[in-house]
Amino acid sequence: MKKVLIVDDSLAVARQLMKIISAGGEFEPVGHAKNGSEAIKMNLELHPDIICMDMNMPGMDGLTALRSLMALDHKVKVVMITSLGGVGDKFTEALKLGAQNVISKPFEPENVLRVLRALQPA
Amino acid sequence: MAVKFFGQFLVEKGIVSREALLKAIELQETVNLKFGETALAMELISEADVERVHKAQWSADLQFGDMAVQLGIINETQMHQVLTRQKNSHLYLGEALIQVGALERESLDGYLQEFKVDQSPYVTDKTDIPPGVINQEMWGMLADLTYKMLGRIANLTVRPGQCQLVNHLAPNCLIAAIEITGQLNARYLLSVSAGAREAIARAMLSQESLEGEPQELLDDTIAEFINVVCGNFSAKAAQLGKTVEIEPPQLIQPDAGNVNSATGQKGLLFPFHLADGELIEAAIFINA
Repeated sequence: MKKVLIVDDSLAVARQLMKIISAGGEFEPVGHAKNGSEAIKMNLELHPDIICMDMNMPGMDGLTALRSLMALDHKVKVVMITSLGGVGDKFTEALKLGAQNVISKPFEPENVLRVLRALQPA
Repeated sequence: MAVKFFGQFLVEKGIVSREALLKAIELQETVNLKFGETALAMELISEADVERVHKAQWSADLQFGDMAVQLGIINETQMHQVLTRQKNSHLYLGEALIQVGALERESLDGYLQEFKVDQSPYVTDKTDIPPGVINQEMWGMLADLTYKMLGRIANLTVRPGQCQLVNHLAPNCLIAAIEITGQLNARYLLSVSAGAREAIARAMLSQESLEGEPQELLDDTIAEFINVVCGNFSAKAAQLGKTVEIEPPQLIQPDAGNVNSATGQKGLLFPFHLADGELIEAAIFINA
């Protein structure tokens, strides 16, 4: 089972993602961080294989946290979550910073699982 | 499904890798010159002119070409010549992906068709907005996205009422608000009755029953709903040439009373009626 850390200020999104991820049978949600700084802390404590992280959060936002996570830990696979799908520059910035992919909201469960399954181990 | 751009669609579907997409975008960045760069290459303006236009753009919301014309650096005909050169030499992402070897030319049309089908639910319809409101088509698009998302995400059948000019949004069970900034500036608010909030929460959480669920979670589904609406609005606006940012959503409880538009803001109200008498109202307080 691959361990997944969910990072989103929204309880509703975290709940949605946990359901989708758990249903896949191959992934185990191991925690929920509500902003970027919590994500950095929980990454050190929980050592997840995958982090699913929202781009737009109060406090430390997703792109800032992504930059720090990539500097601290090259092994973790980060998938960004966004409702800003069509905003190409943010999408490109996330990929350039090291995100493996970007999942759009509203979620399509099949799409979420396909993206997670496609992640290659470091 | 969500509003997205072609590159994201291809990566999400696993059709091209992130590395290949980044390579294609890099190629686009070298080929697709900005207006000022194109005008420089055509020897219509100097480096000093570019600097002058950029400085002037700090104080007026005008595109580079329009500003250059306003400053008398180029004339209208030259502006159109530059725009035509940009258009004719533009490298589209599909072509860039073919050039970097990430896509076969024969498969491009098929993927473009699939992308069109994926995005078709988000083609917005025209909404009537009272005259005298700036960027009418953008705010109409936001109202129409709200209507469509109520159907697609919240599974609600709603009847949209006529748009009205207002200076406040009356309290209901809950109001969620988002600030929109950048090239469009407004405060977007969504007010929901108790039944509407539960219906949205049930759909967002994919749960028949909400028994035992904390109010915080139910309220959060409304915040997340407007986050998705405004995020998709931001994506659509970008496709139409307007860059906007959205702040994280805020919740306003009914004891706060009316939410008033600020001085200088113009308020638009879009009612959405549900079959069982429940009401959802979207308001947009637009900065003049």
